[in-house]
Amino acid sequence: MQTQPRAKWWTRLGDWLDERFDVRIPLEAFLKKPVPKHAIKWYFCLGGITFALFVIQGVTGILLSLYYKPTATDAYDSILFIMNNVRFGWLIRSMHAWSAKLMIAMCIAHMLRVFITGSYKRPRELNWVAGTFLLLLTLAFGFTGYLLPWDQKALWGSTVGSQILGAIPLVGDALLGLLRGSPDVTGLTLTRFYGAHMLVLPVLAFIFLGAHFVIIRRQGISGPL
Amino acid sequence: MGESVNRVQDEGSGQSLNRRRFLKYILLGFSAAATAAGVATPVVGYLWPPKQAVGAGGGRVAVAAAADLPVGKGAVYSVNNKPVLVVHTQDGYHALSATCTHLGCIVFWAEQKGVIACPCHAAFFTVNGNVISGPAPAPLPVYQVQVEGDQIYVQGGQG
Repeated sequence: MQTQPRAKWWTRLGDWLDERFDVRIPLEAFLKKPVPKHAIKWYFCLGGITFALFVIQGVTGILLSLYYKPTATDAYDSILFIMNNVRFGWLIRSMHAWSAKLMIAMCIAHMLRVFITGSYKRPRELNWVAGTFLLLLTLAFGFTGYLLPWDQKALWGSTVGSQILGAIPLVGDALLGLLRGSPDVTGLTLTRFYGAHMLVLPVLAFIFLGAHFVIIRRQGISGPL
Repeated sequence: MGESVNRVQDEGSGQSLNRRRFLKYILLGFSAAATAAGVATPVVGYLWPPKQAVGAGGGRVAVAAAADLPVGKGAVYSVNNKPVLVVHTQDGYHALSATCTHLGCIVFWAEQKGVIACPCHAAFFTVNGNVISGPAPAPLPVYQVQVEGDQIYVQGGQG
């Protein structure tokens, strides 16, 4: 039975799935977009770098959650435990801290590139808006994550940072209470920030990232200067 | 000679394993394996049950041989990852947290003066941990210490 050489296994797997779900053509339309020549430059990679850092934050963050204890009495000790007792704990936590800083920097660099190449203009205004929300989410990740080590820097950083909200006329005190969960930064603030950092912000980030990517695929990237 | 020419022409046809193909697979395989190992090692190591501090949870820790600490001497040991100062005076053994209650420097036993001193801001404590002078706002926490046989044990419950 000497016929054509057998197709590669991944092609056959694709055929098998396509036969059942009929997804090849819509998926290929979405995934197979050649990058235009004018966009093959390093400064068109900044958004992708930001997303890569987001993935690193997700993986290292999940790993940290296995040992971190979000209570006023245990938080700092659990950080010490991660740094001193857990194998590679220092590495995972340092990666999380450094990627957080880099993610904010890359996010802003990406926005600058979009601004300078004028890529935010019609018809891409809404993707600029989605990106702006992603910047705010990144900063919110940074602000809530800053409190979690529960050391002096975290406590006073969050105290001063949240006080800015309290400066709003009339509603400031109420908003400050909502943010902190107590008049001062206490264990109630810690669990609040922990919940936001671990659950609320990731869900929002996935929604806006999804929108960001669907829109860029639908519209294609902007033309040359 | 003829054979090697054929091999070069075979490149990419997926049939034979010539030298170029072989080297490509080796290099790609090595790169992939090294990258996978570089990611897997920290992650698996991280997930592996971590080493607990010796005697954690209130157990006691053997810090030194009694012979290492004659009367008049004091030394700092690690008890459950916390520094503990053990002092041997004529009254016996004293163990205290070695973390200064002022700003967290590691205190030492000033043998000449017979007091515990902090090198950072000149806080002084008695051998029982009480503040003599200096900026320390609170006494040093005291640990239980026992000597059995030739070993000095410190109770780690406070750490």
